[in-house]
Amino acid sequence: MPFKRNVRWWLTGLAISCVLFWWLIQPLTLDSLNLADESVNLVNGEHMFYAGGCAACHASTSDGNQPLLLTGGQALKTRFGVFYAPNISTNPENGIGNWSTLEFINAMRYGVSPQGQHYYPSFPYTSYTRMSTRDLVDLKAYLDTLPADSSQSLQHDLKFPYNHRWLLGPWKRLLLDPSPVLELDREDAELERGRYLVEGPGHCGECHTPRNMFGAMDLNAWLSGGPSPEGKGRIPDITSGPDGLGDWSKADISYFLETGIDAEFDVVGGSMVEVQENISRLSEADRNAIATYLKSVNSKP
Amino acid sequence: MHKQSLILLTIAATLLSSLAIRADDPISERQDLMDGTRDALKAMVKMVRGEAEFDADTVTNSLNTMQNTAATAGDLFPPGSETGGDTEALPSIWSDREGFNQAMDHFAKAVDTALAANPQSVADLNPVLRGITKTCKGCHDDYRQEKDN
Ligand code: HEC
Ligand code: HEC
Ligand code: HEC
Repeated sequence: MPFKRNVRWWLTGLAISCVLFWWLIQPLTLDSLNLADESVNLVNGEHMFYAGGCAACHASTSDGNQPLLLTGGQALKTRFGVFYAPNISTNPENGIGNWSTLEFINAMRYGVSPQGQHYYPSFPYTSYTRMSTRDLVDLKAYLDTLPADSSQSLQHDLKFPYNHRWLLGPWKRLLLDPSPVLELDREDAELERGRYLVEGPGHCGECHTPRNMFGAMDLNAWLSGGPSPEGKGRIPDITSGPDGLGDWSKADISYFLETGIDAEFDVVGGSMVEVQENISRLSEADRNAIATYLKSVNSKP
Repeated sequence: MHKQSLILLTIAATLLSSLAIRADDPISERQDLMDGTRDALKAMVKMVRGEAEFDADTVTNSLNTMQNTAATAGDLFPPGSETGGDTEALPSIWSDREGFNQAMDHFAKAVDTALAANPQSVADLNPVLRGITKTCKGCHDDYRQEKDN
């Protein structure tokens, strides 16, 4: 008798685990979206494109004189293997030309493809998840104005077990969080705008924050710098602490983002060059907002 | 006699100076040159940011300093100076010398454009300075890895 009871418990446990597991790996998405009164603003869409730095990974050329072709193909080497940014041009078969706005929002905010698969966070939706519907609608409309390219996206080259996308289900349940990183201690529209730009579209933390054992940003060390994900060098601390931007005035930060000239009159290099050139296309008010935000981020305790 | 000793002297001097150059450290030399370039940039940026009075002579001097960098820096990356000291030079300089030379060329051209524009106000200076900064970035992007210190 005790044997049979054990089996029953065991089977029930297994069934519950299965259901739980199934639930855990299910993608969370929006099912519908009321866009009836969302008229699009292409200028804002373009701003979001530059704030988000999509071209850094998805464009085939970063030469400002060529038309923007979002062919993908750029390799991102990580300790999990090599990711290749896909084609997100307007080509209907190999790009995202026939995606609905809802499908686009589900990719950007929930990291889920139109087929219901999880995206890897090498696509920084862990930051884009904080973007507003308004901005995502405009961004999609702007992408729709760019030329189509029929190149096929490359397959990622990942180590076991990272080549299994379903593993990302539990990962996302734990680590995909659209709530703001920094609690604001005062009500201030500029600071809030800065927070939105840095934590959301600007995805500054994806490079400037060290990663924990799960490969996610370590929010306790927010923006405090760390080893470069590309392997060589370090990414600087950009908190307001002494190892970060402590000596920089807001005007210094804003000027750096506009020109690439830092507080010591040195000139920016590395992967920050493209970020800086993108941010230089935003408004002065937006750059000031970013500076205000960075000056209110404390260094790691 | 006199002529001969002059020739000998010249040869000796040439030998000595080439020895001196070889004994010198191209890494710290190029870093000093870059630091001078930064100071030249600083003088002009201060004017653009309204932290210093516009002064056409300072601008010309600064641009001349940069022109000198563009003309001489290329030779300070000889084979064998890839590593050592606290160099921030990337191996790509030696594996893609053509691209590196081209980046230096873009820099030289931007400085020439600025000199030709002969800026007489902050409004004149601002656009040409941006043109120059773009070429500093263009090179640092591919050929320099900043070290955290
Ligand atoms: C750091 C590099 C990086 C940046 C920046 C980036 N992406 Fe991506 N993106 C990727 C990678 C890598 C993937 C593939 C993810 C996967 O296969 O799971 C991807 C996938 C996508 C997809 C899904 C495409 C498909 O075929 O399923 C869309 C849409 C997308 N990105 C849009 C954007 C937009 C819009 C931006 C700018 C706001 C952006 N990305 C910025 C790396 C990047
Ligand atoms: C793709 C990775 C990446 C992203 C994204 C990124 N940065 Fe950077 N950032 C860097 C690197 C690398 C450096 C060092 C640049 C150098 O070597 O000159 C840097 C340098 C900086 C500096 C200068 C710090 C110093 O001490 O010199 C500031 C300020 C900065 N970033 C702000 C930002 C902001 C604001 C954002 C978001 C809008 C951002 N970064 C996004 C990689 C990145
Ligand atoms: C064609 C390439 C190139 C151009 C153009 C260029 N640089 Fe550099 N720069 C380098 C390299 C390479 C290094 C690293 C040298 C080393 O550490 O050995 C460097 C280093 C520096 C340094 C650090 C020097 C040190 O003490 O370690 C400063 C400051 C600097 N550059 C400023 C500038 C400024 C300002 C401009 C434009 C006005 C500029 N550079 C244009 C290639 C370039």
